[in-house]
Amino acid sequence: MAKITQKQIIESLNQLKEIKPRNEWAVLLKSQILAPSTKILVRIEKKQVELEAPIKQVKSAGIMDVLSFIFAPKKLAYSFAAVLFLIVGVFGFARYTVPGDLLFPVKKIAEQSQATLTGQTGLKQDVATLSSRINDLSQVAKEGKTNNIPSAISEVSANVKDLAQNLKNNPAQDQQTIKEIANSLKTLADVPGTDLSQNSYVQDLSQMVVQREIADLQKTTLTDDQKNVLTEAQDLYSQGKYQDALVQILLISK
Amino acid sequence: MDSLNEQFGQIYDQYIDKIYRFVYLKVNSQEIAEDITSKVFIRGWEAFQNPKEEIKNPGAFLYQIARNAVVDHYREKGRTNVISADASPEIADPGTDAQDKAVLSADINIIKKGIQKLEKEHQDIIIWHYLEDMPIANIAKLLDKPAGTVRVMLHRGLKDLKDIIQEA
Repeated sequence: MAKITQKQIIESLNQLKEIKPRNEWAVLLKSQILAPSTKILVRIEKKQVELEAPIKQVKSAGIMDVLSFIFAPKKLAYSFAAVLFLIVGVFGFARYTVPGDLLFPVKKIAEQSQATLTGQTGLKQDVATLSSRINDLSQVAKEGKTNNIPSAISEVSANVKDLAQNLKNNPAQDQQTIKEIANSLKTLADVPGTDLSQNSYVQDLSQMVVQREIADLQKTTLTDDQKNVLTEAQDLYSQGKYQDALVQILLISK
Repeated sequence: MDSLNEQFGQIYDQYIDKIYRFVYLKVNSQEIAEDITSKVFIRGWEAFQNPKEEIKNPGAFLYQIARNAVVDHYREKGRTNVISADASPEIADPGTDAQDKAVLSADINIIKKGIQKLEKEHQDIIIWHYLEDMPIANIAKLLDKPAGTVRVMLHRGLKDLKDIIQEA
């Protein structure tokens, strides 16, 4: 380049002040940053997806492009995206809640929906739910969330009640399901600081499970040691100590 | 909370153009400038909400985040400013109308690329002083250097820029 003076450089530098961000990007970024409940950011792609664009190109475009492609008015697309992100955000956050938390009902809805989608219904769903609620209780106890403990116990109790009722109504269950329930009850008994052994629903469910396990084990070939443990479990069962009997049965199963 | 939103909203309006321009001149890409500027304001907003953070000068704070974000960008990509400028002999993006106007002239384009070939601190000082009209004293505070040093650096930066442009 030919000779240039510092004054000319400074004048040219001044012209660079014209560089500015795209207005729609700046407005969107501001609204996203200052939005009260979401931090998810979407960058507006500069190029719009053209109608004749091949499917592959549409797939690689940003989500806003796709939404703009579907919803011609951009405002509608942005609103839809915002609502979508909000819902995803709430459901995502709800996964980490425990009973007593504000968003816990959302977690339950999500679990029910997931169970329906995966075809997990009836007793199997109850078993899975009980396992989740026991995990919640265990987490609450472990983290010392004393305010959440009553809600967590109440949730477990309600699920145990449902499961016991369901098992009563549908006695013909495969042994694997019964074993899963037995393991859940054992896990429940092991949760520190939350003794539910005297809970009538837990007692009912334990009784049913132990009864079935004993019946199953009686048909199985056992070693002498296992036979002794089974006898012990039967004694405990007859004394009404269902949870102790369950522990013995699980020892045989191991 | 609303008050915080409002306050940061005003800061955003005041600095969005400046920070974007600052970043754009360093990365020479609209897409990357938008990504980095987004990060700058998100980090700024997070800090602004944090009661433990005391932000006396929001502008200086945002520029500092922007400088670090640009450094992180080049570190992540394993590139340097010089390589970036050389690798993009033409304007990287068509940009907006305003941007187009700014870069229509070949001379302006050369100056833009010249800035990218400058030392990082010279770049910062020239952008702040000549594009953002920031007084030397403020730049000195921002860089934690004496005003005299900044003045010398500005002079050297401008001279280097002139040399780079004349070599082009």
